[in-house]
Amino acid sequence: MASILETFGLDWAKFLSQVIIVLIVYGILSKYAFGPVLAMLEVRRRRIAEGEANLETIKAEMGRAEEKVRDMLAKANADAERLIAEARESAETTRNQKTQEAVKEAQQILEKAREASRLEHESAMNELKRDFGRLVIDATSKVTGKVLDEKDQKRINDEAVGQVAL
Amino acid sequence: MVFSLSMVSIESALPMLAAGGIGAPTLPDLGWFTNSIFVAIVVTTAILLFTRMATKRMEMVPGAKQNFVEYLIEFLYGQVEGIVGKHVAPKAFPLLATIFIFVLVSNWFGLIPGVGTIGFGEKTGPVSVDSSFTDADGLYTFVPLLRPSTADLNMTLALAAVFMCVWLYLSISELGLWGTIVHIFGPKGGVQGALKWGLMIVFIIVGIIEVVSIMFRPMSLSLRLLGNIYAGETLLHTMGGLGETLGFPGWLAKISSVIFPLPFYFMEILVGALQATVFSLLCAVYIKLSTTHDGEEHH
Repeated sequence: MASILETFGLDWAKFLSQVIIVLIVYGILSKYAFGPVLAMLEVRRRRIAEGEANLETIKAEMGRAEEKVRDMLAKANADAERLIAEARESAETTRNQKTQEAVKEAQQILEKAREASRLEHESAMNELKRDFGRLVIDATSKVTGKVLDEKDQKRINDEAVGQVAL
Repeated sequence: MVFSLSMVSIESALPMLAAGGIGAPTLPDLGWFTNSIFVAIVVTTAILLFTRMATKRMEMVPGAKQNFVEYLIEFLYGQVEGIVGKHVAPKAFPLLATIFIFVLVSNWFGLIPGVGTIGFGEKTGPVSVDSSFTDADGLYTFVPLLRPSTADLNMTLALAAVFMCVWLYLSISELGLWGTIVHIFGPKGGVQGALKWGLMIVFIIVGIIEVVSIMFRPMSLSLRLLGNIYAGETLLHTMGGLGETLGFPGWLAKISSVIFPLPFYFMEILVGALQATVFSLLCAVYIKLSTTHDGEEHH
């Protein structure tokens, strides 16, 4: 056995020095490479797990917020519809009221206009009658050649106006 | 180009042993300090410098070096965890990863041109690449300046010895001293009752065989690695000098010294990775076998 090992070049001093080298590599790699890297991997794994958990929380919160927004929108829509309906009803009422007022006002205007027209018509007729009577008096005065007194003028005027059936 | 294979004698066609023979020669006037120890120190320094650079300022968003080291360690940890289990992995991983990385870098370091080929010798002068000179006893006198550390039994045995120490510590820490003894010599396969006592002698004999196999583990681990790497180095040397051995003309021998070893370089890259994997994988399996509680085996 010893001769075989000697043939293969085994030497205890060299072997021990190699053992020391292996132990140095083992110790330093464990301390400066495996330890920090595994710790970093663990930190990263934990952070990813936290991120995932946060993501779930955010998703849940977002779901709740979306639901809240949906509720708010539904409520706003209902309010809006109610307001629109109320506004429409109010507008209808107002429109009817205003229409009635307008109709009434229009009737009043028409009445007044009719009244004014009648009065104006009467006034015009009276004016016309006066003018007609004056024309008849003037014509009579010129035809007869005599100056008519106030009594004649009144009689002729009344007769002329009486014959005009306006 | 005229040459004849008949000119080549059997003796000259024998492989040129790499690194001046399998025993690691001591560098002159330096005692225990061999060329393979020097390479081991270089490899160690390179590994440590690189990992230190990569892990000195670790950041949550890693740079290229940190990313590479993290990837490697995470990958190796996953493999180790898959074999030895979640419980033992944190304790076993540093050693197994150290073995894998160190053996891999050492194996590949041996493929760097000049390692094992540049050296000195009695007849070759202070710096030479001619390793063919032998002394009166037929032993090679060429001493390479650099030699792959895993082509030296002292290193491979050192790796195996350190592993066995850690393996023993892990086994006893997991099962306890009595638990380890029971694990080796005790009844297996969940045998109970009278059968257990009837087969006890068989279990004890099996335990003795197990102890013998455990004692041989350092040798099997170290010689397997040494044999593969040393054989690979020898193969590359032989292929490099094949043209000259076959009596090729000078210029053709030079070209063939590049072309012939080329496919084997690729093979040696693969062998280097494979042997690193085999060594660390076997170590992981040994840890798994000795740290598994008997109850767990039946599940």
